[in-house]
Amino acid sequence: MDHDSICYLSATELGQHIAAGRISSAQATDAYLQRIARLDGNYASYITVTPERARSDARQADAEIAAGRHRGPLHGVPIAVKDQFDTAGILTTNGSTILAENIPDSDATVMAKLRHAGVVLLGKLNMSEYASGDAFRHPYGRPRNPWDTNRNPGTSSSGSGAATAAFLCATSLGEDTGGSIRGPAAFCGLVGIRPTFGRVSRHGVFGACWSMDTVGPVSRTVTDCANTLAAIAGHDPNDPQTWDAPVPDYAAALDGNIQGLKLGIVTQRVHTDANDPEVRDAILASAQVLGGLGAAVREVSIPLIVHSSEISYAIISSDAALLNWDIISTDRLRELDHNNQVRLLMGSVLPATAYQKAVRLREILRQQILAALQEVDALIMPASSVPATLIPDSPGLGTKADVIAGFKGRRGFTAPFNLANLPALSINCGFTGSGLPIGLQIAGRPFDETTLFRLAYAYEQATDWNQRRPPGV
Amino acid sequence: MSDLNDSEVMALAKASGIAIPQHLLPEVRESLNGLLEALDDITEPDVAGIEALPIILSETARTQEA
Repeated sequence: MDHDSICYLSATELGQHIAAGRISSAQATDAYLQRIARLDGNYASYITVTPERARSDARQADAEIAAGRHRGPLHGVPIAVKDQFDTAGILTTNGSTILAENIPDSDATVMAKLRHAGVVLLGKLNMSEYASGDAFRHPYGRPRNPWDTNRNPGTSSSGSGAATAAFLCATSLGEDTGGSIRGPAAFCGLVGIRPTFGRVSRHGVFGACWSMDTVGPVSRTVTDCANTLAAIAGHDPNDPQTWDAPVPDYAAALDGNIQGLKLGIVTQRVHTDANDPEVRDAILASAQVLGGLGAAVREVSIPLIVHSSEISYAIISSDAALLNWDIISTDRLRELDHNNQVRLLMGSVLPATAYQKAVRLREILRQQILAALQEVDALIMPASSVPATLIPDSPGLGTKADVIAGFKGRRGFTAPFNLANLPALSINCGFTGSGLPIGLQIAGRPFDETTLFRLAYAYEQATDWNQRRPPGV
Repeated sequence: MSDLNDSEVMALAKASGIAIPQHLLPEVRESLNGLLEALDDITEPDVAGIEALPIILSETARTQEA
């Protein structure tokens, strides 16, 4: 098998080949490293490539497998992670020049879990500075969408989307505070899941908002996504917010049978002028596919969901300001991206009354969503109201009118589920006439990631959207 | 509610213990006024009596755990 053909395999398929000895982890690692060297100049998806570490991981995996010590579906599989996670001895920038020399002494819990799963670490992926979706400047290169390099791959896990879509890693990790996994998944035609808050440890992860940060996979297939989440999920005494809830065998539940599952199309997020008509049509067509597979599809109403964006923005901006107080209260402020300076300063002067209103509205929204989830097993709506956006040519958050208009846009589609702390997944459900991917979002009950994977898998098997490759890839 | 002006935004910043560089003040003001107006415009539902518990999942959520 030639190098590119190895990289075109799904992570799960590659893991099976490695386990069976048909491809060595070393071969797969070389294939990916050569591909990154050849193509990543087009996408700037990596901040740091770690060839020595990758080859060492691969040698260890091959030796263990040869000795009969197979660790699981990702053993020997080359992956990459967002540069927001501490990696012992490896540069970890959080996308900022402020951390240009930051080399952690220890691994984030998710990195330790990936090591335990036997993965090969190819490197650290590009991201928006401090995981802010507003950041304009990308000091380590402007990440570009493989489907159209004039467009964003989504924020803030930009490199996770770009690298996975361009076959520059087999699967990846991102972090989702307000949509930073689901956005790149939608824009890049991938599968990404934001797990339930508390499902995956945040220990060793640079935070953006205490009550919303979640770590999760960005992958090319549902099975890859399920296997990657299984590798990192679970209770961690170093993160008091993780729940000691059992981690199911997600992949084992993927049988394609969704007969009898009840699905709710969120009326206010589908039948709205905020949606690009091609996005709306693709979501409704997806609902038909799922209905044809045996799911019972109906519409559900979540009235407050239309205000998710401003509620989320108030909480995240204020929390982010406090998290980065050592920067914004000093001269280091000027080292931040322009848009981040504005956003964090705004968050630092937001009156407590406004913050408290946002937090109270959050609780009401959560109750509305949970009430809807008592009627149905999962909710469906777009992951983004629009396909991948053009890369802006200048910084700035705009006028008051621009800010208000922005609240009606795409962030209001991912925000509901970070506000509600619920799991939500994006899967490619088609393309626009100009060839840009569209993301179907499936959200569910607390800790019920399994149902989301089951629905997404059934949909994936019934359609051929994930067989397409970006042009030139 | 009326928009905050530059002086009022600077006063908020001073009370918070930070300084807003002059060249960023117009954008911070616009961004803040936009967010405040958007939140102010949410009049339904009434938030009175709602306990703000940002992380802890509700009893409803716990009973729905998979």
